[in-house]
Amino acid sequence: MVAFVELDGVGMTFRGRTGAYEAVRDFNLELSEGEFFCLLGTSGCGKTTVMNMLAGFDTPTSGQIRLEGKPVRGPGADRGVVFQGHDSLYDWLTARDNIAFGLRLRGMGRGERRAIADRFLNMVGLKGQGDKHPSELSGGMKQRIQIARALANDPRMLLMDEPFGALDAMTRAVLQGELSRIWSENRKTVLFITHDIEEACALATRVGVMKRGPGGTLKAVVPIDLPFPRERTSDAFMASFRQVHELIHAEIHPHA
Amino acid sequence: MHSRAATIIGYVLGFALLFVIWHLASRYLVSSVLFPSPFPVFERGWVLLEEGLLQESVWASMRRIIQGFLLGSAIGIPIGLAIGSFRPVRLLLEPWTEFFRFIPAVAMITVAVIWFGIGEESKIFLIAYTTVFVVVIATAAGVGAVGKDKVRAAQCLGANKFQVFALVALPATVPYILTGMRLAMANAFVTIVAAELVASNDGLGKMLWDARLFMQVEDIFVALISLGLLGFATDRVFRLLIRAFAGRFNPTM
Ligand SMILES: Nc1ncnc2c1ncn2[C@@H]1O[C@H](COP(=O)(O)OP(=O)(O)O)[C@@H](O)[C@H]1O
Ligand SMILES: [Mg+2]
Repeated sequence: MVAFVELDGVGMTFRGRTGAYEAVRDFNLELSEGEFFCLLGTSGCGKTTVMNMLAGFDTPTSGQIRLEGKPVRGPGADRGVVFQGHDSLYDWLTARDNIAFGLRLRGMGRGERRAIADRFLNMVGLKGQGDKHPSELSGGMKQRIQIARALANDPRMLLMDEPFGALDAMTRAVLQGELSRIWSENRKTVLFITHDIEEACALATRVGVMKRGPGGTLKAVVPIDLPFPRERTSDAFMASFRQVHELIHAEIHPHA
Repeated sequence: MHSRAATIIGYVLGFALLFVIWHLASRYLVSSVLFPSPFPVFERGWVLLEEGLLQESVWASMRRIIQGFLLGSAIGIPIGLAIGSFRPVRLLLEPWTEFFRFIPAVAMITVAVIWFGIGEESKIFLIAYTTVFVVVIATAAGVGAVGKDKVRAAQCLGANKFQVFALVALPATVPYILTGMRLAMANAFVTIVAAELVASNDGLGKMLWDARLFMQVEDIFVALISLGLLGFATDRVFRLLIRAFAGRFNPTM
Protein backbone atom coordinates (compact mmCIF):
# COMPACT_ATOMS: atom_id res chain seq x y z
CA MET A 1 0.00 0.00 0.00
CA VAL A 2 1.33 3.45 -0.91
CA ALA A 3 1.51 6.14 1.76
CA PHE A 4 -0.69 9.22 1.36
CA VAL A 5 2.39 11.47 1.18
CA GLU A 6 5.91 10.22 0.54
CA LEU A 7 9.10 12.25 0.77
CA ASP A 8 11.73 9.93 -0.59
CA GLY A 9 15.39 10.92 -0.09
CA VAL A 10 14.51 14.56 -0.70
CA GLY A 11 17.32 17.11 -0.79
CA MET A 12 17.60 20.77 -1.64
CA THR A 13 20.76 22.65 -2.45
CA PHE A 14 20.42 26.39 -3.08
CA ARG A 15 22.90 27.89 -5.49
CA GLY A 16 23.45 31.62 -5.25
CA ARG A 17 26.16 34.26 -5.51
CA THR A 18 27.69 33.14 -2.24
CA GLY A 19 28.01 29.57 -3.47
CA ALA A 20 25.96 26.45 -2.83
CA TYR A 21 24.10 25.78 0.43
CA GLU A 22 22.67 22.35 1.15
CA ALA A 23 19.58 23.28 3.17
CA VAL A 24 17.96 19.83 3.25
CA ARG A 25 19.61 16.42 2.84
CA ASP A 26 18.08 12.95 2.48
CA PHE A 27 14.74 13.81 4.03
CA ASN A 28 12.49 10.75 4.35
CA LEU A 29 8.91 10.84 5.63
CA GLU A 30 5.62 9.06 5.04
CA LEU A 31 2.33 10.59 6.10
CA SER A 32 -0.87 8.58 6.32
CA GLU A 33 -4.21 10.08 5.44
CA GLY A 34 -5.94 12.00 8.21
CA GLU A 35 -2.94 12.52 10.47
CA PHE A 36 -1.78 15.81 11.94
CA PHE A 37 1.98 15.86 11.55
CA CYS A 38 4.00 18.61 13.21
CA LEU A 39 7.44 19.30 11.81
CA LEU A 40 9.47 20.82 14.62
CA GLY A 41 12.90 22.35 14.34
CA THR A 42 15.10 25.29 15.20
CA SER A 43 15.08 28.38 13.03
CA GLY A 44 16.90 27.86 9.74
CA CYS A 45 16.93 24.05 9.88
CA GLY A 46 15.00 23.76 6.62
CA LYS A 47 11.34 23.43 7.65
CA THR A 48 10.04 25.99 5.14
CA THR A 49 12.25 24.49 2.46
CA VAL A 50 10.60 21.08 2.98
CA MET A 51 7.13 22.63 2.89
CA ASN A 52 7.89 24.66 -0.25
CA MET A 53 8.93 21.47 -2.02
CA LEU A 54 5.80 19.61 -0.95
CA ALA A 55 3.66 22.60 -1.96
CA GLY A 56 5.39 22.54 -5.34
CA PHE A 57 6.83 26.06 -5.10
CA ASP A 58 10.37 24.64 -5.30
CA THR A 59 11.64 21.50 -7.02
CA PRO A 60 13.90 19.21 -4.96
CA THR A 61 17.45 18.94 -6.25
CA SER A 62 17.38 15.26 -5.29
CA GLY A 63 14.82 12.64 -4.31
CA GLN A 64 11.12 12.58 -5.04
CA ILE A 65 7.86 13.69 -3.43
CA ARG A 66 4.61 11.84 -4.11
CA LEU A 67 1.05 12.61 -3.11
CA GLU A 68 -1.24 9.58 -3.32
CA GLY A 69 1.39 7.88 -5.44
CA LYS A 70 1.68 10.70 -8.00
CA PRO A 71 4.88 12.78 -8.18
CA VAL A 72 4.39 16.40 -7.12
CA ARG A 73 4.97 18.81 -9.98
CA GLY A 74 4.27 22.43 -9.15
CA PRO A 75 1.62 23.88 -6.88
CA GLY A 76 -1.97 22.68 -7.12
CA ALA A 77 -5.38 22.90 -5.53
CA ASP A 78 -4.92 19.48 -3.88
CA ARG A 79 -2.51 21.05 -1.35
CA GLY A 80 -3.89 24.07 0.54
CA VAL A 81 -1.25 26.33 2.07
CA VAL A 82 -1.47 28.63 5.08
CA PHE A 83 1.45 31.05 5.04
CA GLN A 84 3.46 32.33 7.97
CA GLY A 85 2.70 36.01 7.42
CA HIS A 86 -0.60 37.39 6.20
CA ASP A 87 0.81 39.04 3.06
CA SER A 88 -0.87 36.29 1.09
CA LEU A 89 -4.35 37.69 1.71
CA TYR A 90 -5.86 39.89 -1.00
CA ASP A 91 -6.22 43.38 0.46
CA TRP A 92 -8.66 44.48 -2.24
CA LEU A 93 -11.12 41.70 -1.46
CA THR A 94 -13.40 41.31 1.56
CA ALA A 95 -12.81 38.51 4.04
CA ARG A 96 -15.64 36.58 2.37
CA ASP A 97 -14.23 37.05 -1.14
CA ASN A 98 -10.78 36.01 0.07
CA ILE A 99 -12.26 32.78 1.40
CA ALA A 100 -14.22 32.22 -1.82
CA PHE A 101 -11.22 32.97 -4.07
CA GLY A 102 -10.51 29.34 -4.92
CA LEU A 103 -14.18 28.71 -5.68
CA ARG A 104 -14.22 31.71 -8.00
CA LEU A 105 -11.20 30.32 -9.87
CA ARG A 106 -13.28 27.22 -10.59
CA GLY A 107 -16.12 29.33 -11.98
CA MET A 108 -18.59 28.63 -9.19
CA GLY A 109 -21.61 30.99 -9.17
CA ARG A 110 -21.86 33.93 -6.82
CA GLY A 111 -24.64 32.67 -4.58
CA GLU A 112 -23.10 29.25 -4.04
CA ARG A 113 -19.70 30.82 -3.36
CA ARG A 114 -21.20 33.08 -0.76
CA ALA A 115 -22.97 30.26 1.03
CA ILE A 116 -19.80 28.18 1.25
CA ALA A 117 -17.65 31.14 2.31
CA ASP A 118 -20.10 32.02 5.08
CA ARG A 119 -20.04 28.43 6.32
CA PHE A 120 -16.23 28.61 6.65
CA LEU A 121 -16.38 32.11 8.19
CA ASN A 122 -18.53 30.57 10.92
CA MET A 123 -16.20 27.61 11.26
CA VAL A 124 -13.21 29.87 12.03
CA GLY A 125 -15.27 32.00 14.41
CA LEU A 126 -15.69 35.07 12.19
CA LYS A 127 -19.45 35.03 11.77
CA GLY A 128 -20.66 38.44 10.58
CA GLN A 129 -17.16 39.73 9.71
CA GLY A 130 -17.35 38.72 6.04
CA ASP A 131 -17.67 42.24 4.64
CA LYS A 132 -14.49 43.55 6.27
CA HIS A 133 -11.22 43.95 4.40
CA PRO A 134 -8.00 42.37 5.69
CA SER A 135 -6.67 45.77 6.80
CA GLU A 136 -9.63 46.02 9.19
CA LEU A 137 -8.85 42.70 10.86
CA SER A 138 -6.38 41.77 13.60
CA GLY A 139 -3.44 39.43 13.04
CA GLY A 140 -5.30 36.51 14.57
CA MET A 141 -8.37 37.15 12.43
CA LYS A 142 -6.24 37.28 9.31
CA GLN A 143 -4.80 33.86 10.08
CA ARG A 144 -8.35 32.57 10.59
CA ILE A 145 -9.20 33.89 7.12
CA GLN A 146 -6.17 32.12 5.67
CA ILE A 147 -7.24 28.84 7.26
CA ALA A 148 -10.83 29.30 6.04
CA ARG A 149 -9.59 30.16 2.54
CA ALA A 150 -7.50 26.99 2.36
CA LEU A 151 -10.29 24.78 3.76
CA ALA A 152 -13.08 26.26 1.63
CA ASN A 153 -11.19 25.06 -1.45
CA ASP A 154 -11.47 21.49 -0.07
CA PRO A 155 -7.87 20.39 -0.68
CA ARG A 156 -6.63 16.82 -0.12
CA MET A 157 -4.22 18.11 2.53
CA LEU A 158 -3.23 21.25 4.38
CA LEU A 159 0.29 22.71 4.67
CA MET A 160 0.79 25.26 7.42
CA ASP A 161 4.06 27.16 7.92
CA GLU A 162 4.23 28.56 11.46
CA PRO A 163 0.76 30.07 10.99
CA PHE A 164 0.57 31.35 14.56
CA GLY A 165 4.23 32.37 14.86
CA ALA A 166 3.57 36.12 14.74
CA LEU A 167 0.64 36.11 17.22
CA ASP A 168 0.67 36.92 20.92
CA ALA A 169 0.61 33.98 23.32
CA MET A 170 -3.09 34.29 24.21
CA THR A 171 -4.33 34.54 20.63
CA ARG A 172 -2.01 31.69 19.69
CA ALA A 173 -3.49 29.40 22.35
CA VAL A 174 -7.04 30.23 21.26
CA LEU A 175 -6.25 29.55 17.59
CA GLN A 176 -4.46 26.31 18.43
CA GLY A 177 -7.61 25.18 20.23
CA GLU A 178 -9.81 26.08 17.28
CA LEU A 179 -7.54 24.47 14.72
CA SER A 180 -7.53 21.30 16.81
CA ARG A 181 -11.34 21.34 16.95
CA ILE A 182 -11.66 21.93 13.19
CA TRP A 183 -9.22 19.12 12.46
CA SER A 184 -11.04 16.76 14.82
CA GLU A 185 -14.21 17.46 12.82
CA ASN A 186 -12.88 17.06 9.28
CA ARG A 187 -9.70 14.94 9.78
CA LYS A 188 -7.86 16.44 6.85
CA THR A 189 -4.21 15.48 6.57
CA VAL A 190 -2.09 18.33 7.94
CA LEU A 191 1.61 19.10 7.78
CA PHE A 192 2.10 21.79 10.38
CA ILE A 193 5.44 23.55 10.82
CA THR A 194 6.46 25.09 14.11
CA HIS A 195 9.41 25.80 16.35
CA ASP A 196 7.20 25.72 19.47
CA ILE A 197 7.39 22.43 21.38
CA GLU A 198 4.16 22.98 23.30
CA GLU A 199 2.29 23.87 20.12
CA ALA A 200 3.54 20.70 18.45
CA CYS A 201 2.54 18.50 21.42
CA ALA A 202 -0.88 20.14 21.68
CA LEU A 203 -1.82 19.67 18.02
CA ALA A 204 0.00 16.68 16.57
CA THR A 205 -0.71 13.02 16.23
CA ARG A 206 3.02 12.72 15.46
CA VAL A 207 5.88 15.18 15.92
CA GLY A 208 8.89 15.07 13.63
CA VAL A 209 12.02 16.68 15.04
CA MET A 210 14.51 18.07 12.54
CA LYS A 211 18.27 18.16 12.80
CA ARG A 212 19.77 21.60 12.32
CA GLY A 213 21.32 22.60 8.99
CA PRO A 214 23.25 22.56 6.81
CA GLY A 215 21.85 19.32 5.56
CA GLY A 216 18.71 19.57 7.71
CA THR A 217 16.91 16.28 7.92
CA LEU A 218 14.44 14.33 10.05
CA LYS A 219 16.06 13.22 13.29
CA ALA A 220 13.24 11.41 15.07
CA VAL A 221 9.47 11.00 15.00
CA VAL A 222 7.53 10.97 18.26
CA PRO A 223 3.90 9.76 18.28
CA ILE A 224 1.65 11.68 20.65
CA ASP A 225 -1.12 9.25 21.59
CA LEU A 226 -3.25 11.59 23.66
CA PRO A 227 -6.96 12.33 23.18
CA PHE A 228 -8.25 15.71 21.95
CA PRO A 229 -8.79 18.32 23.32
CA ARG A 230 -5.48 18.04 25.10
CA GLU A 231 -4.95 18.78 28.74
CA ARG A 232 -1.68 20.71 28.75
CA THR A 233 -1.10 20.34 32.46
CA SER A 234 -1.64 16.56 32.52
CA ASP A 235 1.26 14.25 33.37
CA ALA A 236 0.95 12.47 30.03
CA PHE A 237 1.23 15.78 28.14
CA MET A 238 4.24 16.76 30.25
CA ALA A 239 5.90 13.45 29.48
CA SER A 240 5.49 13.98 25.73
CA PHE A 241 6.72 17.53 26.08
CA ARG A 242 9.83 16.32 27.92
CA GLN A 243 10.54 13.66 25.33
CA VAL A 244 10.36 16.13 22.44
CA HIS A 245 12.22 18.75 24.42
CA GLU A 246 15.19 16.44 24.93
CA LEU A 247 15.39 15.74 21.21
CA ILE A 248 15.29 19.41 20.25
CA HIS A 249 17.53 20.53 23.11
CA ALA A 250 20.47 18.74 21.54
CA GLU A 251 19.88 20.81 18.40
CA ILE A 252 19.76 24.12 20.24
CA HIS A 253 22.88 23.40 22.33
CA PRO A 254 24.82 20.92 20.22
CA HIS A 255 28.01 21.21 22.29
CA ALA A 256 26.48 21.38 25.75
CA MET B 1 -15.64 63.01 9.91
CA HIS B 2 -14.04 65.22 12.49
CA SER B 3 -10.71 65.26 10.70
CA ARG B 4 -12.47 65.91 7.38
CA ALA B 5 -14.04 69.07 8.79
CA ALA B 6 -10.63 70.11 10.10
CA THR B 7 -9.13 69.56 6.66
CA ILE B 8 -11.78 71.71 4.98
CA ILE B 9 -11.40 74.50 7.55
CA GLY B 10 -7.64 74.28 7.06
CA TYR B 11 -8.00 74.76 3.31
CA VAL B 12 -10.41 77.69 3.66
CA LEU B 13 -8.24 79.46 6.22
CA GLY B 14 -5.06 78.64 4.32
CA PHE B 15 -6.34 80.15 1.09
CA ALA B 16 -7.77 83.17 2.95
CA LEU B 17 -4.37 83.75 4.57
CA LEU B 18 -2.70 83.53 1.17
CA PHE B 19 -4.97 86.26 -0.20
CA VAL B 20 -4.47 88.45 2.86
CA ILE B 21 -0.68 88.23 2.51
CA TRP B 22 -0.97 88.86 -1.20
CA HIS B 23 -3.13 91.90 -0.57
CA LEU B 24 -0.78 93.32 2.08
CA ALA B 25 2.26 92.67 -0.07
CA SER B 26 0.76 94.45 -3.08
CA ARG B 27 -0.35 97.34 -0.91
CA TYR B 28 2.69 98.02 1.28
CA LEU B 29 5.62 95.94 -0.01
CA VAL B 30 5.67 96.40 -3.77
CA SER B 31 3.09 98.90 -4.74
CA SER B 32 3.37 98.73 -8.48
CA VAL B 33 0.89 98.27 -11.34
CA LEU B 34 2.87 95.14 -12.20
CA PHE B 35 1.77 93.49 -8.95
CA PRO B 36 -2.00 94.03 -8.53
CA SER B 37 -3.90 93.33 -5.33
CA PRO B 38 -6.31 90.34 -5.34
CA PHE B 39 -9.38 92.55 -5.75
CA PRO B 40 -8.80 93.86 -9.27
CA VAL B 41 -7.69 90.36 -10.21
CA PHE B 42 -10.96 88.84 -8.95
CA GLU B 43 -12.89 91.61 -10.70
CA ARG B 44 -11.08 90.89 -13.94
CA GLY B 45 -11.67 87.18 -13.45
CA TRP B 46 -15.38 87.84 -13.03
CA VAL B 47 -15.49 89.89 -16.22
CA LEU B 48 -13.64 87.17 -18.14
CA LEU B 49 -16.11 84.62 -16.78
CA GLU B 50 -19.10 86.72 -17.80
CA GLU B 51 -17.70 87.17 -21.26
CA GLY B 52 -17.05 83.41 -21.39
CA LEU B 53 -13.39 83.93 -22.28
CA LEU B 54 -11.98 82.27 -19.17
CA GLN B 55 -14.10 79.14 -19.57
CA GLU B 56 -12.98 78.95 -23.19
CA SER B 57 -9.30 79.03 -22.24
CA VAL B 58 -9.73 76.61 -19.36
CA TRP B 59 -11.69 74.19 -21.50
CA ALA B 60 -9.19 74.38 -24.36
CA SER B 61 -6.33 73.48 -22.01
CA MET B 62 -8.23 70.87 -20.00
CA ARG B 63 -9.53 69.15 -23.13
CA ARG B 64 -5.97 68.72 -24.40
CA ILE B 65 -4.75 67.52 -21.02
CA ILE B 66 -7.53 64.95 -20.67
CA GLN B 67 -7.21 63.64 -24.23
CA GLY B 68 -3.43 63.38 -24.11
CA PHE B 69 -3.47 62.01 -20.59
CA LEU B 70 -5.98 59.28 -21.42
CA LEU B 71 -4.11 58.38 -24.60
CA GLY B 72 -0.79 58.27 -22.74
CA SER B 73 -2.26 56.14 -19.94
CA ALA B 74 -3.93 53.79 -22.42
CA ILE B 75 -0.55 53.21 -24.04
CA GLY B 76 1.49 53.25 -20.83
CA ILE B 77 -0.50 50.82 -18.65
CA PRO B 78 -0.33 47.78 -20.99
CA ILE B 79 3.33 48.45 -21.76
CA GLY B 80 4.10 48.75 -18.05
CA LEU B 81 2.21 45.51 -17.33
CA ALA B 82 4.14 43.74 -20.10
CA ILE B 83 7.50 45.06 -18.87
CA GLY B 84 6.68 44.02 -15.32
CA SER B 85 5.43 40.56 -16.31
CA PHE B 86 7.79 39.35 -19.02
CA ARG B 87 11.55 39.49 -18.71
CA PRO B 88 12.28 39.63 -22.47
CA VAL B 89 9.93 42.60 -22.83
CA ARG B 90 11.63 44.29 -19.89
CA LEU B 91 15.10 43.75 -21.37
CA LEU B 92 13.94 45.09 -24.72
CA LEU B 93 11.89 48.11 -23.62
CA GLU B 94 13.63 49.29 -20.46
CA PRO B 95 16.37 51.05 -22.45
CA TRP B 96 13.62 53.00 -24.22
CA THR B 97 11.98 54.23 -21.05
CA GLU B 98 15.34 54.94 -19.45
CA PHE B 99 16.31 57.02 -22.50
CA PHE B 100 13.09 58.89 -23.28
CA ARG B 101 12.20 59.83 -19.74
CA PHE B 102 15.24 62.13 -19.70
CA ILE B 103 14.02 64.02 -22.76
CA PRO B 104 11.37 66.28 -21.23
CA ALA B 105 8.20 67.03 -23.15
CA VAL B 106 9.04 70.75 -23.28
CA ALA B 107 12.16 69.80 -25.26
CA MET B 108 9.90 67.95 -27.70
CA ILE B 109 7.70 71.01 -28.41
CA THR B 110 9.66 72.06 -31.46
CA VAL B 111 9.57 68.57 -32.92
CA ALA B 112 5.86 68.26 -32.14
CA VAL B 113 5.09 71.54 -33.90
CA ILE B 114 7.15 70.54 -36.94
CA TRP B 115 5.37 67.18 -37.15
CA PHE B 116 1.83 68.10 -36.15
CA GLY B 117 1.51 71.87 -36.59
CA ILE B 118 0.16 74.21 -33.92
CA GLY B 119 -3.28 72.56 -33.74
CA GLU B 120 -4.64 70.03 -31.27
CA GLU B 121 -2.47 67.13 -32.42
CA SER B 122 0.81 68.59 -31.24
CA LYS B 123 -0.55 69.31 -27.74
CA ILE B 124 -2.14 65.90 -27.39
CA PHE B 125 1.08 64.29 -28.59
CA LEU B 126 3.10 66.21 -25.98
CA ILE B 127 0.76 65.43 -23.10
CA ALA B 128 0.61 61.76 -24.12
CA TYR B 129 4.40 61.73 -24.38
CA THR B 130 4.90 63.19 -20.92
CA THR B 131 2.32 60.77 -19.47
CA VAL B 132 3.48 57.52 -21.07
CA PHE B 133 6.87 57.10 -19.44
CA VAL B 134 5.80 57.96 -15.92
CA VAL B 135 2.87 55.55 -16.15
CA VAL B 136 5.02 52.79 -17.69
CA ILE B 137 7.61 53.00 -14.93
CA ALA B 138 5.05 53.13 -12.10
CA THR B 139 3.03 50.22 -13.54
CA ALA B 140 6.09 48.03 -14.09
CA ALA B 141 7.29 48.77 -10.55
CA GLY B 142 3.83 47.81 -9.25
CA VAL B 143 3.87 44.46 -11.03
CA GLY B 144 7.34 43.78 -9.65
CA ALA B 145 6.15 44.56 -6.11
CA VAL B 146 3.31 42.02 -6.04
CA GLY B 147 3.99 39.84 -2.99
CA LYS B 148 5.35 36.37 -3.69
CA ASP B 149 2.93 34.81 -1.19
CA LYS B 150 -0.05 36.41 -2.96
CA VAL B 151 0.90 34.68 -6.19
CA ARG B 152 1.69 31.39 -4.45
CA ALA B 153 -1.59 31.44 -2.56
CA ALA B 154 -3.46 31.76 -5.84
CA GLN B 155 -1.43 28.95 -7.41
CA CYS B 156 -2.26 26.50 -4.65
CA LEU B 157 -5.91 27.49 -4.84
CA GLY B 158 -5.75 26.30 -8.44
CA ALA B 159 -5.11 29.50 -10.42
CA ASN B 160 -3.59 29.23 -13.89
CA LYS B 161 -1.15 31.82 -15.27
CA PHE B 162 -3.86 34.00 -16.72
CA GLN B 163 -5.89 33.96 -13.49
CA VAL B 164 -2.79 34.91 -11.47
CA PHE B 165 -2.31 37.87 -13.78
CA ALA B 166 -5.92 39.05 -13.99
CA LEU B 167 -7.04 38.35 -10.42
CA VAL B 168 -3.84 38.94 -8.43
CA ALA B 169 -1.14 40.90 -10.26
CA LEU B 170 -3.51 43.39 -11.89
CA PRO B 171 -5.56 44.44 -8.84
CA ALA B 172 -2.43 44.53 -6.68
CA THR B 173 -0.91 46.94 -9.21
CA VAL B 174 -3.86 49.36 -9.39
CA PRO B 175 -2.61 51.69 -6.60
CA TYR B 176 0.78 51.94 -8.32
CA ILE B 177 -0.88 52.72 -11.65
CA LEU B 178 -3.01 55.46 -10.07
CA THR B 179 0.01 56.95 -8.32
CA GLY B 180 1.89 57.00 -11.63
CA MET B 181 -1.09 58.68 -13.33
CA ARG B 182 -1.21 61.28 -10.57
CA LEU B 183 2.44 62.16 -11.10
CA ALA B 184 1.87 62.22 -14.85
CA MET B 185 -1.03 64.64 -14.41
CA ALA B 186 1.28 67.13 -12.69
CA ASN B 187 3.68 66.82 -15.63
CA ALA B 188 0.78 67.35 -18.02
CA PHE B 189 0.05 70.76 -16.49
CA VAL B 190 3.66 71.88 -16.94
CA THR B 191 3.69 70.61 -20.49
CA ILE B 192 0.40 72.13 -21.66
CA VAL B 193 1.31 75.63 -20.49
CA ALA B 194 4.72 75.47 -22.11
CA ALA B 195 3.24 74.14 -25.35
CA GLU B 196 0.50 76.78 -25.46
CA LEU B 197 2.97 79.55 -24.67
CA VAL B 198 5.06 78.58 -27.66
CA ALA B 199 2.48 77.63 -30.21
CA SER B 200 -1.27 77.85 -29.78
CA ASN B 201 -4.38 79.80 -30.69
CA ASP B 202 -6.14 79.32 -27.37
CA GLY B 203 -5.80 77.88 -23.88
CA LEU B 204 -4.42 79.19 -20.59
CA GLY B 205 -0.85 79.30 -21.92
CA LYS B 206 -1.97 81.45 -24.84
CA MET B 207 -3.87 83.65 -22.38
CA LEU B 208 -0.66 84.16 -20.39
CA TRP B 209 1.28 84.99 -23.51
CA ASP B 210 -1.26 87.49 -24.85
CA ALA B 211 -1.58 89.17 -21.45
CA ARG B 212 2.16 89.70 -21.42
CA LEU B 213 2.12 91.21 -24.91
CA PHE B 214 -0.63 93.68 -24.00
CA MET B 215 0.58 94.24 -20.41
CA GLN B 216 -2.71 93.01 -18.92
CA VAL B 217 -1.24 92.07 -15.55
CA GLU B 218 -4.61 91.10 -14.05
CA ASP B 219 -5.16 88.58 -16.86
CA ILE B 220 -1.82 86.94 -16.04
CA PHE B 221 -2.88 86.47 -12.44
CA VAL B 222 -6.31 85.15 -13.45
CA ALA B 223 -4.60 82.54 -15.63
CA LEU B 224 -2.15 81.58 -12.87
CA ILE B 225 -4.91 81.17 -10.29
CA SER B 226 -6.97 79.12 -12.74
CA LEU B 227 -4.02 76.77 -13.27
CA GLY B 228 -3.53 76.38 -9.54
CA LEU B 229 -7.19 75.60 -8.92
CA LEU B 230 -7.47 73.19 -11.84
CA GLY B 231 -4.36 71.32 -10.75
CA PHE B 232 -5.58 71.25 -7.19
CA ALA B 233 -8.97 69.87 -8.23
CA THR B 234 -7.60 67.13 -10.50
CA ASP B 235 -5.05 66.08 -7.90
CA ARG B 236 -7.86 65.79 -5.34
CA VAL B 237 -9.75 63.48 -7.66
CA PHE B 238 -6.69 61.23 -7.94
CA ARG B 239 -6.11 61.25 -4.22
CA LEU B 240 -9.70 60.16 -3.65
CA LEU B 241 -9.37 57.42 -6.27
CA ILE B 242 -6.12 56.17 -4.80
CA ARG B 243 -7.61 56.15 -1.33
CA ALA B 244 -10.68 54.30 -2.59
CA PHE B 245 -8.45 51.54 -3.97
CA ALA B 246 -5.45 51.69 -1.68
CA GLY B 247 -7.23 52.60 1.52
CA ARG B 248 -7.97 48.96 2.12
CA PHE B 249 -4.38 48.01 1.45
CA ASN B 250 -1.98 47.32 4.24
CA PRO B 251 -0.15 50.36 5.60
CA THR B 252 3.21 49.22 4.17
CA MET B 253 1.97 50.24 0.72
N1 LIG C 1 16.18 30.70 -1.72
C1 LIG C 1 17.21 30.43 -0.90
N2 LIG C 1 18.48 30.62 -1.31
C2 LIG C 1 19.52 30.33 -0.50
N3 LIG C 1 19.40 29.85 0.74
C3 LIG C 1 18.16 29.64 1.22
C4 LIG C 1 16.99 29.92 0.43
N4 LIG C 1 15.90 29.62 1.16
C5 LIG C 1 16.35 29.18 2.35
N5 LIG C 1 17.71 29.18 2.39
C6 LIG C 1 18.54 28.73 3.51
O1 LIG C 1 18.18 27.42 3.82
C7 LIG C 1 18.15 27.24 5.22
C8 LIG C 1 16.79 26.73 5.66
O2 LIG C 1 15.82 27.76 5.46
P1 LIG C 1 14.30 27.58 5.88
O3 LIG C 1 13.78 26.35 5.24
O4 LIG C 1 13.61 28.82 5.55
O5 LIG C 1 14.43 27.40 7.46
P2 LIG C 1 13.27 27.33 8.56
O6 LIG C 1 11.96 27.47 7.87
O7 LIG C 1 13.45 26.00 9.21
O8 LIG C 1 13.53 28.43 9.52
C9 LIG C 1 18.52 28.56 5.85
O9 LIG C 1 19.88 28.54 6.20
C10 LIG C 1 18.28 29.55 4.75
O10 LIG C 1 19.17 30.64 4.85
MG1 LIG D 1 10.48 28.98 8.07
